[in-house]
Amino acid sequence: MTELQTASMVKPWAELEGRDRHAACMLAARDGDKEAFDALVADLAPLVWHVARGSGLDRTTAEDVVQTVWLALLRHLHRLTEPRALAGWLITTTRREANRIQHRAGGTVELSQEMAERTPTTDPSPEHEVLRTERDHQLWSAFHKLSQRCQELLRLTVIAGRAEYRAVAEALHMPHGSIGPTRGRCLNNLRSLYDGDSGS
Amino acid sequence: MRTNHTDDDLMAEVARLVNELDPLPPGLVERTQFAVALDDIDRHVELEVAQWADNRPLAGVRGGMPGTITFFVGDLTVMVNVTRTGERQRIDGWLVPAGAHGVEVRVADHGSAVTTADEGGRFVLTEVPRGTTQLLVRMNAEQSRTVVTPTVDL
Repeated sequence: MTELQTASMVKPWAELEGRDRHAACMLAARDGDKEAFDALVADLAPLVWHVARGSGLDRTTAEDVVQTVWLALLRHLHRLTEPRALAGWLITTTRREANRIQHRAGGTVELSQEMAERTPTTDPSPEHEVLRTERDHQLWSAFHKLSQRCQELLRLTVIAGRAEYRAVAEALHMPHGSIGPTRGRCLNNLRSLYDGDSGS
Repeated sequence: MRTNHTDDDLMAEVARLVNELDPLPPGLVERTQFAVALDDIDRHVELEVAQWADNRPLAGVRGGMPGTITFFVGDLTVMVNVTRTGERQRIDGWLVPAGAHGVEVRVADHGSAVTTADEGGRFVLTEVPRGTTQLLVRMNAEQSRTVVTPTVDL
């Protein structure tokens, strides 16, 4: 096994960040470095998770999809020609897998109720905390009334960050420059939904 | 919420809610790392990822209760019945289409158990440790085709 020889060696990706780190991990993983692949999973599993959830999958199904996507990457490790495009590949593959499952299941899952139940309203906390929770609850409810596309875009831009805007744009088939304006419209919709909800 | 919130403020709130109310499930990173730690999978093997059927009556199994679960991919369907035997468990499986396919059950921190299905597609594994579990099916007729499942907690 490679663990013995790699334990004492400096990893080429250890000091890198973002795309450079992921690309270096990809290359190392191709050469059989499992630690590099594990680092990719640890770094980018949250991205895959939120894409799956943003596509409307329940949490159990989303868990399976996260693992399915990483197994798919294992299979495609030697076929991905551009290691720097990994985030985009993960987003695209996750959306495709989520769509496949939803078509097979014959419908999408109603998320709002599930998410509403997860809001921790029973937490015995100081009054300002309770108020904050109530406000969160309403904002979260409003979030789930947004179009699927807005929910997905907002989640993606939250998780992927500005560094991966291009990957997000490509995966959503949007021109790069339209992400910002579209995000702005989604946020305006969110404001209206929230204000309608709270009556303020 | 104040409507005079800037986009950045609102985005920060959305980010906080997404992270607090819909976090990555605990242990998912580790379960995924286990699922991909397949030693003998080389690049010439066609790895197919099966999907667990999530029928409501079976959903209890996902929470750790014994019962029957099914996974499938393409034309292959595998039913797995799990029975507790003390600290361990017995796994009865049935593959369709039938064939003498190789079956491997991997359990995190417990290695793996291997058997071969009979011509009727049935297989049995006893004394399987409990834990994060993954099944692999190596198709008999197509040596290069291996089916693998996401993990399930048994």
